[in-house]
Amino acid sequence: MVLVKRIKPLPLGGILIPLLSIVIGILISTIILYVIVGASPIITLSCVVSSLISPEIVLTFLFLTILGVALLVAFSGSIWNIGAEGQLWLGTAAAAYVALFTTLPQAPIVAKIVMVLLAMVLGGAWAAVAGILRAYLNIDEVPVTLIMNYIAYYVINYLVRGPWLGKETWGYIRTDMIPDQVKFVLIPGSTTITYEVLILAVLTIALTYFMLKYTALGLRIRILGSNPDALKAAGVNVRALIITALAISGAIAGAMGAAQLAGYLHRISYPIESHTANYGYTAILVAWLSMLDIRAIPIAAYIVSALYQAGISMQIAGVSGASATYVFIGTVLLTFTVLRVFSEYTIKIVRR
Amino acid sequence: MTESKAYNSNFSLKINTPIVSVKNISKRFPGAVALDNVNFDILEGEVHALLGENGAGKSTLVKILYGIYSPDKGEIYVRGRRVRINSPKDAIKHGIVMVSQIPQIIDRLTVAENIILGLEKYGLTSRISEVRDFIKVKSKEVGIAVDPDIEVWKLSYTQKQLVEILRALLIGARILLLDEAITFLPLIEKRKFYKFIRNFVDEGGSVVLITHKIYEAMDIADRITVLRQGRVVGTVRRDEVSPDDVRKMMFAEKSAQITYERLPTSKPRDVVALEIRDLWVMGDYGVHAVKGVNLTVKAGEVVGIAGIAGNGQKELIQAVIGLRKVEKGNIMLYSEDVTNKGVAKIRVKGVGYIPDQPARFGVSLDNNIEENLAMLPAITRRIIKWGAVRELARKLINEFNILTPSSKAPVKLLSGGNIMKVLVSRELFVAKRLLVAYNPTRTLDEVTAIMVRKIIKEKAAKDGVGVLIASEDLDEIFQIADTIAVMNSGKIVGTFPGDKANRDEVERLMVM
Repeated sequence: MVLVKRIKPLPLGGILIPLLSIVIGILISTIILYVIVGASPIITLSCVVSSLISPEIVLTFLFLTILGVALLVAFSGSIWNIGAEGQLWLGTAAAAYVALFTTLPQAPIVAKIVMVLLAMVLGGAWAAVAGILRAYLNIDEVPVTLIMNYIAYYVINYLVRGPWLGKETWGYIRTDMIPDQVKFVLIPGSTTITYEVLILAVLTIALTYFMLKYTALGLRIRILGSNPDALKAAGVNVRALIITALAISGAIAGAMGAAQLAGYLHRISYPIESHTANYGYTAILVAWLSMLDIRAIPIAAYIVSALYQAGISMQIAGVSGASATYVFIGTVLLTFTVLRVFSEYTIKIVRR
Repeated sequence: MTESKAYNSNFSLKINTPIVSVKNISKRFPGAVALDNVNFDILEGEVHALLGENGAGKSTLVKILYGIYSPDKGEIYVRGRRVRINSPKDAIKHGIVMVSQIPQIIDRLTVAENIILGLEKYGLTSRISEVRDFIKVKSKEVGIAVDPDIEVWKLSYTQKQLVEILRALLIGARILLLDEAITFLPLIEKRKFYKFIRNFVDEGGSVVLITHKIYEAMDIADRITVLRQGRVVGTVRRDEVSPDDVRKMMFAEKSAQITYERLPTSKPRDVVALEIRDLWVMGDYGVHAVKGVNLTVKAGEVVGIAGIAGNGQKELIQAVIGLRKVEKGNIMLYSEDVTNKGVAKIRVKGVGYIPDQPARFGVSLDNNIEENLAMLPAITRRIIKWGAVRELARKLINEFNILTPSSKAPVKLLSGGNIMKVLVSRELFVAKRLLVAYNPTRTLDEVTAIMVRKIIKEKAAKDGVGVLIASEDLDEIFQIADTIAVMNSGKIVGTFPGDKANRDEVERLMVM
């Protein structure tokens, strides 16, 4: 048996392989949960199925879509931004600053726009730091972006405990609630989805799709992943390109951070590390599962959010602990990593 | 013309059974040229050249022999027994080892460490002292010194290729596949390899020499098999044919286009396109590679730099284009000082650049032809107009006869020569004022190479573009250059008008 490289990737491989990975991954997770914690396969599978159609996953789906796109931008250029988590929390902090400590909320629409924009600037700048280190000193962006997540957590923790501590917190360490007029507007019938988040998700996908497909910047980011030397000889400023790619990635993550504050959290609570949903990390799976195709990002985000929800349902049903959440996601991802080989390779049986 | 000096043996067709026999091999790629029922024998103790134009299927055939590709159809026999070669490991078991044109060695390790590593990969072991001795003895035999304890990044290309070949021998190669492995070496050093190869086959080894250069095949091969469009045109004995016969086999009716006559001298305009003043540039190893070069290229003029590889041509060209820092001196582009302005600023002023490693500095292999055009700042500034890019791609594909399934196929599916055509056509398109080239045709077959030279010359004569071309191929320099500058040890040691230059004099200055 030998692996032979396909001349063209498997047709429909972009859809078939993720789907197959999910089915196999869920089955393996079911077995794991049965063997280790004795969870009944029927309950496990029903939790998974009900999560797939649960309305509770919509918000997670939208957040992961936005973040998935953010990471896709960097990953397309083989720049491994592991720092979406920190970038998005800085976005949250930026939005909180505008909402709590400026007079802008008197003009709600302006305030909302400024919240998102400032969040983008801060998230982008935070990511650009790693970009500058990579571009000028050739320092690997993976540890840098990862470490900067914790710096972001602690900076915000400091702010929330100190200068930003709210007045009406009943003993909790947290900021005040942002003014009602800058909270995002709920869609009728939903308790979590807001118009603004929806618009943000659609805009992010549309603009990023356009950027990657129709601009020189997008094309060059894609080529950066395969041959930076050719770009350099062609007359492209590769340093600026690396910094720009990371900055865009961080800016989109920052925007999602603002949306999380104005659309859902409405305040920041101490300590961040135990209040975060870790979307910034989960989104890495989304981007990876999409095989770096932006059209597959919403599909991947949907699947990951459903599995995420399935883990929570298992917890509520009392069959397993919090770790079940990641059993599903981890197993599916591992299966996918193995199976995606077949998009590029085919197995050929050869007699010896 | 290079004379064909005999490194051929007293080889005669003994009643040999072929050591390796390829029968009815076919391999299909979508759209691109494939192998069609190829039959091919390698005898013990022969140098067998596999010759063909760009995209003829030579590389595909050896990659099948080495287990990198698997054939759709056909059989391989080693010493009369049918074998299946599914990986290089299988090939090595049968004594078949390939050396390609790109060194596959790790820069940070020493020569000896690299070789040990190569052996371990195939389950072989050897003591480092033995490897060291082997390198010392063999490098002496070849006449190219290689210190076994030196880090590989300090070696020249020739030395790296020698290390590759020595490693192949230590792995136990009985049939050595040289896939353009010595094609790009400077002539003097190439001749040293010829002798070495001859010794190897005299001791019973066999060599398959894959090349697109007729003279390389004529210099060293005992037999020559010519491939054209994936089919075997024929196998001939070297001593029965002339270069012209082989050329006809390679190119059929197109061989009439091959000529080494000087292209008509163009009339330079009265404008200086490029002026280089007292230029000093550092090489890779912390010593000056370019030492005070002065050179002028007028608009419409082709200036050719002749010289043996490693005399500072590469560094000079890279400095002009902005890829290498200028230590001292000035580079003026149409009277504008562009010294150390950086490649981005220089290129958008209408400067085309043809590097000699197309896959690394020219194109992005994972992307298609359209994307490889659109990536250039000189073609796209911000928003890509895909319609216009597609039209340009089609035009270039037609004009240069680029063999590709479509303008949307990843460039990596193309043969080496066709990849070079993509690069050359693109750079000629963007070279509105100056074209800078380093060995622009060395991966191209004769027909294509001559076509490219004609187009470059026309570009100079008609559009008034200044052209600075450095090439290790003296035929090329003599064919195309209006002015020949000879470069030796980082300096220009002589300048001649192209039509009056004396070849012996130029060669003397090159090796002086």
